Amino acid sequence: MYNTMRTMKYLFMVMAAMLLASPAFAQAAGEAVSPWTPIGAGLGMALAAGLCGLGQGRATASAAEALARNPGARPGIFTFLILGLAFIESLALFTFVIIFLYVK
Amino acid sequence: MPTQLYLTSVLNRLFAAPVDRVLGALHIAVKYPQAPINNTFTMELLAFALLLLYFIAVRVSLSVEKPGALQHLAEMTHEFVSEQGEQIIGHGYERFTSYLIVLGLFILLANLMGLFSPWLESPTANVAVPLGFALVTFVYYHYHGVRVNGFGYIKQFLGPVWWLYWLLFPIEVISHLARILSLTVRLYANMFAGDLLTLAFFSLVPVGVPLLFLGLHLGVAVVQAYVFMLLAAIYLSLAVSHDH
Repeated sequence: MYNTMRTMKYLFMVMAAMLLASPAFAQAAGEAVSPWTPIGAGLGMALAAGLCGLGQGRATASAAEALARNPGARPGIFTFLILGLAFIESLALFTFVIIFLYVK
Repeated sequence: MPTQLYLTSVLNRLFAAPVDRVLGALHIAVKYPQAPINNTFTMELLAFALLLLYFIAVRVSLSVEKPGALQHLAEMTHEFVSEQGEQIIGHGYERFTSYLIVLGLFILLANLMGLFSPWLESPTANVAVPLGFALVTFVYYHYHGVRVNGFGYIKQFLGPVWWLYWLLFPIEVISHLARILSLTVRLYANMFAGDLLTLAFFSLVPVGVPLLFLGLHLGVAVVQAYVFMLLAAIYLSLAVSHDH
């Protein structure tokens, strides 16, 4: 038990040391950008945001309905609602990150 | 030279030479030798120092008869995380509480830093920081999975029937690696997009309206810290479960 704790301690110290060395992200520069890129980015983000809103709306609607039927189950529903919203939202955020990587 | 926050410039004035030497020894190219320490790193150190001070203060002022304000705060945090841990992980959640608390508090503090004051910025708006959190969580839950299940932990990667093992093993490995990606990008993109959104609306309407988005950003910062902690707990519970 004590030994595992010590191994864990060293493991985390190494992890922390690795965490500190934040690498500089190399940026590709000077490439020609197509004139359609901003339109594509806008369309992509609009699609992602709209569909994400649709999904989150459905999730929230069902959560509200479940809460109205059974107000006692509030903590469980709340946790699942937050989780589901985070997962749905992260899909839109993937789009955002990809757009941000490609459109400079 | 990149723009530096006040604290970063202080750190760089003090430690630029030794940090350059360490990075040189590790064969990492330094772009600006006068300023090897960036804002993100400084802010992370600041969050680390503040949390350490907070924990030391709580530990020193611990008392049964007269609990102070700090102790109440610490107890509330502990109770909240324990409750979540008990709901999600169930039996034996106690040994993970400390990790979950530190993870949650660190991310919360890091997220809120950029909102608190113009002399600070959120370290989580740089992709390297959430990646660090995600990697530590990844190693941590796999360690506990192996500790609890032993060699049988590999069964979680293999699926229900033996003739599908060859197909499911790569899929499971990829899905576990995708957890790192999704944890990282979720936190990073939320914080980054929040800052950007406030800035964009500030450039459109410089009065009043950006305040709304600052409020939204505050909510997002708290929720994302909670979600990261919750997901770490869920991954832990999946890794240490026996019924596979």
